[in-house]
Amino acid sequence: VTSAAKAPVADEQAPVPLDEVEKELSRQLRLLQKKDGLVHRVRMSNLIVVARTREEANRAAGDVPGIVAVHPARVLLLVALPGADTSGVTSYVRVRGHETGHDRQACTEQVTLEAAGASTLRLPFAVRSLLVGDLPTNVWWATNQPPAMGGPLLAELSERVQQIIYDSIGWLEPARGVAATAVWLTHIDRDGGAGRWRVASDLNWRRLKYWRRLVAQALDPASAPGAIESIREVVVEHGPHAVVQAWELVSFLAQRLGWQVLTGRVQPNVEIAWRFMAPSGELRVRIRRLEQGPPEIRRLRIECALQGQPAALELLAQGPNRLATVPQGVGGAPRTMTVPPSTLAELIGRQLSDRERDPVFTESMSVAQSLARSVLG
Amino acid sequence: MAVAEHPTRLENPITAAMPPTLLPQPCVLVILGGDGDLAWRKLLPAVYNLNVDGVLPSHFAVVCFGLPSTKEGESGDADEYIRSRARDGISRFSRQILEENHWNDFARGLFFVRGSFNDARAYGQLKAKLIEVDHQFGIPGSRVYYLAVPPPLVETCVVHVRDAGMVADPEEHVAFTRVVVEKPIGKDLDSARDVIRVVAQAFAENQTYRIDHYLGKETVQNVLVMRFANSIFEPLWNQKYIDHVQITVSEEEGLVHADPATGEVVASRVGYYEGVGALRDMVQNHMLQVLCMVALEPPYSLTPDVVRDAKSSVLNCLRLMSPDDVKRDVVRGQYIEGDVNGQLVAGYRYEVREFFKSRKQPIPPKSVNSTTETFVALKLYVDNWRWSGVPFYLRTGKRLPKRASEVAIQFKDVPPVLFNAHPDVPLEPTVLSLRIQPEEGLSMRIASKLPGPKLRIYPVKMEFNYSSSFGDQTPEAYERLILDVMAGDATLFMRRDAVEAAWRFCMPILEAWERMPALNLPEYQAGTWGPIESDRLMESDGRTWRNL
Repeated sequence: VTSAAKAPVADEQAPVPLDEVEKELSRQLRLLQKKDGLVHRVRMSNLIVVARTREEANRAAGDVPGIVAVHPARVLLLVALPGADTSGVTSYVRVRGHETGHDRQACTEQVTLEAAGASTLRLPFAVRSLLVGDLPTNVWWATNQPPAMGGPLLAELSERVQQIIYDSIGWLEPARGVAATAVWLTHIDRDGGAGRWRVASDLNWRRLKYWRRLVAQALDPASAPGAIESIREVVVEHGPHAVVQAWELVSFLAQRLGWQVLTGRVQPNVEIAWRFMAPSGELRVRIRRLEQGPPEIRRLRIECALQGQPAALELLAQGPNRLATVPQGVGGAPRTMTVPPSTLAELIGRQLSDRERDPVFTESMSVAQSLARSVLG
Repeated sequence: MAVAEHPTRLENPITAAMPPTLLPQPCVLVILGGDGDLAWRKLLPAVYNLNVDGVLPSHFAVVCFGLPSTKEGESGDADEYIRSRARDGISRFSRQILEENHWNDFARGLFFVRGSFNDARAYGQLKAKLIEVDHQFGIPGSRVYYLAVPPPLVETCVVHVRDAGMVADPEEHVAFTRVVVEKPIGKDLDSARDVIRVVAQAFAENQTYRIDHYLGKETVQNVLVMRFANSIFEPLWNQKYIDHVQITVSEEEGLVHADPATGEVVASRVGYYEGVGALRDMVQNHMLQVLCMVALEPPYSLTPDVVRDAKSSVLNCLRLMSPDDVKRDVVRGQYIEGDVNGQLVAGYRYEVREFFKSRKQPIPPKSVNSTTETFVALKLYVDNWRWSGVPFYLRTGKRLPKRASEVAIQFKDVPPVLFNAHPDVPLEPTVLSLRIQPEEGLSMRIASKLPGPKLRIYPVKMEFNYSSSFGDQTPEAYERLILDVMAGDATLFMRRDAVEAAWRFCMPILEAWERMPALNLPEYQAGTWGPIESDRLMESDGRTWRNL
């Protein structure tokens, strides 16, 4: 991982006419080269960041240095503000340098494009002229609304991109968000046809990577024979704002193990419970919200049989960088797995290089939709 | 010949559709020779890094086995001994710094069983420990045995492991057993066959992983990606367009490692290297494996044995040399005193003498005036349709001016018309260079017009640098390879037929050298690019070695 970016060489607040952006980028690069010596222009992707408020834009802008340190990209930060129409699109330019090892410097470019009201629909036109040709283009939907509710701006931007990245953490209406996004995902997959490659990626699914791996290893028939077939109850506990993460983990388990949802019930801000029919019988799953703590899954308890007797597997977050499986009712030490620390920026940076379609995600989201229907009625 | 891939394993429904290479399976990594130099420098730091990166299975432990190499290890708590040694190795050699949080987790699953390699009872104790660790960490009896022992001990270890009932049937579908065999696989074809036979007494071919750490390097793997994921290279990748290929592996280091501050000798590889030499140490394995990646035909899939079939085909097409070919096309050399990076360094023979002196051993007669080559350069041919008539030039040596490994594909000159019409100022040929280390990446030298009214052509370099694009934290080769063994992916490991084919190619050279008077061993000053004969080898073909 490369070091964080240095301070900008030019004041971002000075607007640059749209048709002067490329010239300004080159000028700033030359300044950087004068200041820091040999600096390479490195761009592996175009990254279009979409924010709908200034707060979202500021937050996203704060993550850009961390993103490009992991995955050098030309960043186009779109600030699509609500309210009265502006006369057009205002643009700002910033070139950043960062060390890449072997005493090398690389630079990446950020262009901020701001518009309000109806002018926001002019942003995709500005974007087209600024994309670097022959590089993959990604959209990061940097808002806390599901992408299914992205409206014409996101639809237009998504038309010719290879990846749309969103984050389901903190969605205000999880069940509706999950249901709508599952439908939206099928459109993304289908409309990306005709030789065009396009995927949608939820950062929450990426965060779940180690939980998914841990649960797979905990229930592996070689290590825990008979455990999968004997599951009676699953309880997932999560911190505030992480209900969709827990939902996706349950959907993953249900999809992988062939569980069919029977009924669902919500106790707002407390618990969501489902009854499933598994190949070996009925079981219950509950996801519980903890009052405090980080927005992530904290514990997964699986009641099952181990070594032929009633037991449980406790999967826990042990500090910020480790997960552990602790068998209960039978002996044994905790089986641990490191979770490398990852900021939001690093998560996005890694996701930019990871453009493979993940059928397990798509299928799990289809199950997530069934779960949503069961609780929405 | 394609051998069976892996027996059907008990399927985990949760991971059923996921790519297996991403999923190392729960197991115990058993390092025989676990407190030795290889484990200390490479293996334990590699496993620690895998732990930090979160790629190890949760159900995993490391058990080291052997007689302690230090006094502290002979008594006291065996587990604490290996933890202390591992901690030291990780602090010195790990890619990532040692952090207490990760170290504590790693150390919790690290154990040591003291025992002599030829003591059957010790293997009984090892077995008991493994069963205990299985139970503790929920491991289903799967083992990866890493033979980090000197070659003469391989047979002893393998036979004892088998006799102690510690090898699962290759068709067993719950617990697997795999063995990792380090180089050298023999000193010649016969002894290589012996090593293969010895290991086969206990392990089936599909349980055997012969490691060549060069194949774990990202850039070596990238050769295949570059060739087969880009449409422009493969149509040109043949005798019609390629003039020749150069593969260089140069090392600044000699056989003795001194502390840069004090000048004191901290390690010496003379004991291993003397009598082995550069051809056996580098060419027979690393360089021929890299050559295979450059020269292989497109495999029809990326499954391990399909790729390995393609590599074996290359080795089987290497033209075997006659004694006259060896005289003409192979150059060996040995370094004498010289200057590397501004430091005066000793010659090889001096290092040999000092090595035996430090061990208070008499110098063996063959080593008194050692003829072990520390440099070798050779020209070889791959006799198949694609490469007919294209020379491959290989050079490797110790105490060369810099550490650099690369493969360079030099394309044929454009016809001598238009821009190449002046024989006194020929155009520089187009060269694609794949840098393996350091500064991993690739570059392409092409001709370009200099700006201005006059027509002037100048060679320019297009560069791709791994660290600029992907950051500076590329995993070490051993990390990748250990993970592959745990995942049961043998693609990057040498199959027995490939090992034998590589030795078959080297044997005529070794035999010719054996017959040649030792006086003909050219010398080169440390800090130069090898003996003058190496340059003449190229010049006689109207070519030159690349400046690295």
